[in-house]
Amino acid sequence: MFPVRCALLAATFGWWTVLPASDSLHWAFQPPVRGMPPRVRQAGWVRNPVDAFILHRLEEDSLSPSATANPATLIRRVALDLTGLPPTVEDLEAFLQDPRPDAYERAVDRMLASPHFGERWGRHWLDAARYADSNGYSIDAPRSLWPWRDWVVAALNRDQPYAEFLTDQLAGDLLENATREQQVATGFHRNTQINEEGGIDPEQFRIESVLDRVNTTGTVFLGLTVACAQCHDHKFDPLSQREYFQLYAFFNNQDEPSLEAASPEQFAARDAVGAMTRPLEGRLQARAAELAPGFESWESTLTPATRESLPLEVRNVLGLRPEHRTARQRETALQGYYATDDGYRRLRDQLRDARQSAPVIPTTLVLQERAEPRSSVVFIKGDFTRPGDPVQPGTPAVLPPLTADGDFAPNRLDLARWIADPEHPLTARVLVNRVWQQLFGRGLVETENDFGIQGAPPSHPELLDWLATEFSGTGSAATPTPGSLKRLIRLLVTSATYRQSSDVPDAATAPDPLNRLLGRQSRLRLEGEVIRDVALAASGQLDRRLGGPPVFPPQPDGVMAMGQSRREWKTSEGGDRFRRGLYTFRWRATPHPALTVFDGPDAFSACTRRLKSNTPLQSLTLLNDAAFLELAEGLAERVLREAPEATRLNAAFLWTLGRPPESAETARLQQLLDAERQAGDERMAWITVARVLLNLDETITRE
Amino acid sequence: MNPVQELQAETRRHFFGRCGLGLGSVALASLLDSRRLAAAAQPLDPRATHHVPRARNVIYLFMAGGPSQLELFDYKPRLTALNGQPIPDSYLAGKRFAFMDSSFKNRSTLLGTRRQFRQHGDSGMWVSELMPHTASIVDDVTFIRSCATDVFNHAPAKLFMNTGSAQFGRPSLGSWVTYGIGSEAENLPGFVVLQSGPRGPRGGAVNWGSGFLPSTFQGVPLRSQGEPILNLATPERYGDARQRRVLDAVQDLNLRHLAETGDPEIATRIAAYEMAYRMQTAAPEAMDLGRESDATLRHYGIEKDRPSFARNCLLARRLVERGVRFVQLYHTNWDSHGGPGENLEDDFESVCRQVDQGGAALVKDLKSRGLLDETLVVWGGEFGRTPMGENREKTGRNHHIDAFTVWMAGGGVKAGHIVGETDELGFRSVRERVHVHDLHATLLHLLGLDHERLTFRFQGRDFRLTDVHGDVVKSLLV
Repeated sequence: MFPVRCALLAATFGWWTVLPASDSLHWAFQPPVRGMPPRVRQAGWVRNPVDAFILHRLEEDSLSPSATANPATLIRRVALDLTGLPPTVEDLEAFLQDPRPDAYERAVDRMLASPHFGERWGRHWLDAARYADSNGYSIDAPRSLWPWRDWVVAALNRDQPYAEFLTDQLAGDLLENATREQQVATGFHRNTQINEEGGIDPEQFRIESVLDRVNTTGTVFLGLTVACAQCHDHKFDPLSQREYFQLYAFFNNQDEPSLEAASPEQFAARDAVGAMTRPLEGRLQARAAELAPGFESWESTLTPATRESLPLEVRNVLGLRPEHRTARQRETALQGYYATDDGYRRLRDQLRDARQSAPVIPTTLVLQERAEPRSSVVFIKGDFTRPGDPVQPGTPAVLPPLTADGDFAPNRLDLARWIADPEHPLTARVLVNRVWQQLFGRGLVETENDFGIQGAPPSHPELLDWLATEFSGTGSAATPTPGSLKRLIRLLVTSATYRQSSDVPDAATAPDPLNRLLGRQSRLRLEGEVIRDVALAASGQLDRRLGGPPVFPPQPDGVMAMGQSRREWKTSEGGDRFRRGLYTFRWRATPHPALTVFDGPDAFSACTRRLKSNTPLQSLTLLNDAAFLELAEGLAERVLREAPEATRLNAAFLWTLGRPPESAETARLQQLLDAERQAGDERMAWITVARVLLNLDETITRE
Repeated sequence: MNPVQELQAETRRHFFGRCGLGLGSVALASLLDSRRLAAAAQPLDPRATHHVPRARNVIYLFMAGGPSQLELFDYKPRLTALNGQPIPDSYLAGKRFAFMDSSFKNRSTLLGTRRQFRQHGDSGMWVSELMPHTASIVDDVTFIRSCATDVFNHAPAKLFMNTGSAQFGRPSLGSWVTYGIGSEAENLPGFVVLQSGPRGPRGGAVNWGSGFLPSTFQGVPLRSQGEPILNLATPERYGDARQRRVLDAVQDLNLRHLAETGDPEIATRIAAYEMAYRMQTAAPEAMDLGRESDATLRHYGIEKDRPSFARNCLLARRLVERGVRFVQLYHTNWDSHGGPGENLEDDFESVCRQVDQGGAALVKDLKSRGLLDETLVVWGGEFGRTPMGENREKTGRNHHIDAFTVWMAGGGVKAGHIVGETDELGFRSVRERVHVHDLHATLLHLLGLDHERLTFRFQGRDFRLTDVHGDVVKSLLV
């Protein structure tokens, strides 16, 4: 089979992609080489070095870049890309009224500084980390891991350098004097499923989760399909099964506890409550001790009327012979007796009130290294029941060596530092490629999760390397902030390449129909969460609060019945009903259908690229789903409430699409409005208009 | 002007600027072009075939998990005689796939089936006692006992069986077919997926994904109970007339935007909205078994209000009657390693009971309605099981890629025919080996498509379902 595949690869991509495997090292395993941005003919078009690489390649094929997108398209594009929300009217005005030549750059800086930046890019990270709010498998019980999700959002908002970002997540627990935040960060690898079925072998599923961690680490940080080497040597990449289990050994040595995750203020508040409740508890016990000796005489003198006045469970216990009562029943009876005492009752109520005032401290799942290492072996054929040779933690030979301290076997922290090393040939390339993919629709390496020999070669290898060195700070130019995601994103979105129009010149005759050479921007259908966020923002109902436990927006009946264990979906009320899609509770077995239908990830394994399908089921969701209808009603009410009568169509259009309608569009909507007014009341007429706006292709597309 | 008015002016300038002229003629021409584009984006319209088709529709009964051919269709008395003995070295020489490594070999022994086999029909096909209903249709069926695949893990193997590649991102068989010849159904998707069993198939939606083909061709899952599709019904307070007005306005504005941007995805979306609207009435009608007679329900073994494979079989017939081109039924779980829920003893019996009657009833029902000639029914999993046993809690068999059985009926396939033969242990084919690519080539051939000519250009290369492989299995054609 191999020669055939080789021939195919060669036919597809040229011989050079095949040859290095035997003749020299595959490109992705070699350190990136930072070249000079090439010289171009249309030098005036170039805004930063990114453009020189792109334009150079276009000029090789005698192609030209597209014109700049119009300002409304551009500001909506960058708002959606950076914050996942459409621009507000204020954003639009601030941008359009800014006469300075760098008005766009300033708008970009405002968005990078927005707390919604972390939500937007955090969601991409959550996809890769296979985040969900339930344990998966068939039982799929809920779990609390959202403090880790909030940690990701906060880390991105403060632009934590990528090396620290990944080290905290892979090995925060192993850092010296690890902070609570660094421990919370290790939740990254607690996103594995947990099998709670009866009769399983827990060791089997512990091992499953370790394998998952190895595979996810390979995909997310290294862009390698290491999972292929679980059962046998990798068929294409220089990765042996033994090396797979050397990676496994890094992840085979931790316990998986929960950690309380709260702010210092919350812990202080709880301590304060504790300081209040402890003396109360003492006094309550003392009072009980005083009362206890009187119990038997109290019971023997109970009149039927008094007995009737006691709580049911106390009465039930008193109906049993004393020698037949369990310890617990005796305690119930005693409590019933104590409660007849005013002093005891007062203390008890005080204690209850004090306890209720204590803050609820959430917990989150973390990794914690074991003191006694587990020994690791190769599993023959990947089967855990068939242990083979023992292995020590180690990294694949084809990649730069890992250097650990002294004679000790390296641990997870050493692995994290090895990945985070700016000289690592894969880490920066893989990251900048995914960022590129988010902003342009396709990575420079199209197979964003496979930089191995079977992966696609980069469309612009010199640009990929230039960006990688720029990001990691290993380039010739000194990078002021190595590993800064915000700096990288700013560089990309201020390029002329990014600012191009996404209009398709003529699909039939275009020389580059798939736009691999970036002679234009791409229209990208928004993700399910963002489609909801756009509608929320248009309706004026968006609750912009950051973080906290997941919420339950409306969803169709019958969804929860699809899982094996029937779980509850109690629809949120108030602000929580209108939180961003990021905060919707994610059941693995029964995900919210409006997210799934728009290609939301399944949270079973790392998702580094979402598909962008286009189906009738999506139309049905936008047309009929209760959640979207509710938002259409919200938009209609906002129009009636906030916009003067003459400008209502304009306002509704602007809020939804970030631009005013063209005259033909106004005319078409006015025609609809007139027809609706004849058929019903004014409110319903506007709801109908709002439904149309929320269903437009442009509304759910980043142009 | 306030900023928003300026923006309005800017938007208009942008539009005029790109058109080069005033709004009048060019915009109109562009709009007309777009109408053509949108009309062309009825990608599911029936299309001409390469040659005269034998089958018009396909019902693919996908047995997810890999059923054991050795317990069902591939009768191996010699294997039973050698039960408990180590597999001879000659079978393993030269085998490269990993689970045949030496330590496995040292431990694995042959497992003869405990099931009784009998010959059936004029064809004399051997079928085990676990499939009495299927045994009754052998004279309408071609059994291919010599199927082979390349990959031995569930998700990649399902992907391989569905897309001809173990890698993500290739179009599935149903997508290729609807891309190739469209669909007769104007009110239903051309490619529909139904599921039964304890869970969905591993890999999920990628099994019916459209890969690099336009997403219009991807399979649409229908639910066999309740509302067939979530959000199918318009809430009553909005009413049908209003729904149509909403849709018309959406379509007009999308069309206009298509003219401005030239993005063919908008044409696809316009088609999707029209389909969605028509599906609102057509799908509930198709999924409603209320008009089916009690005799029919009994024939399939359908229990009232209970989702099942049998119910999906009847639904498949109804969908095909309504012009749906490709119906794929997934039934889990055929995985039989011997562990809890997947042993070859009672668990296997239970899966057989779940599918046997429905599948056979479908073939008979199609035949009695004169639909079998033009409908191809395919039954099979992603791979088979090893002649060696696997002992976990109870008995099982491991995944096996070298020989397994798939059956087909109707649609230009010989009735009462057997293709291929395996060696005395059922390890590999000794005659007429049919690889997945050959199966695909044959399927396309029956539908009037030449697998070498059904291509789609992507990343500078013309892709095929069969890659650079595939031979039509001529011996099974009528």
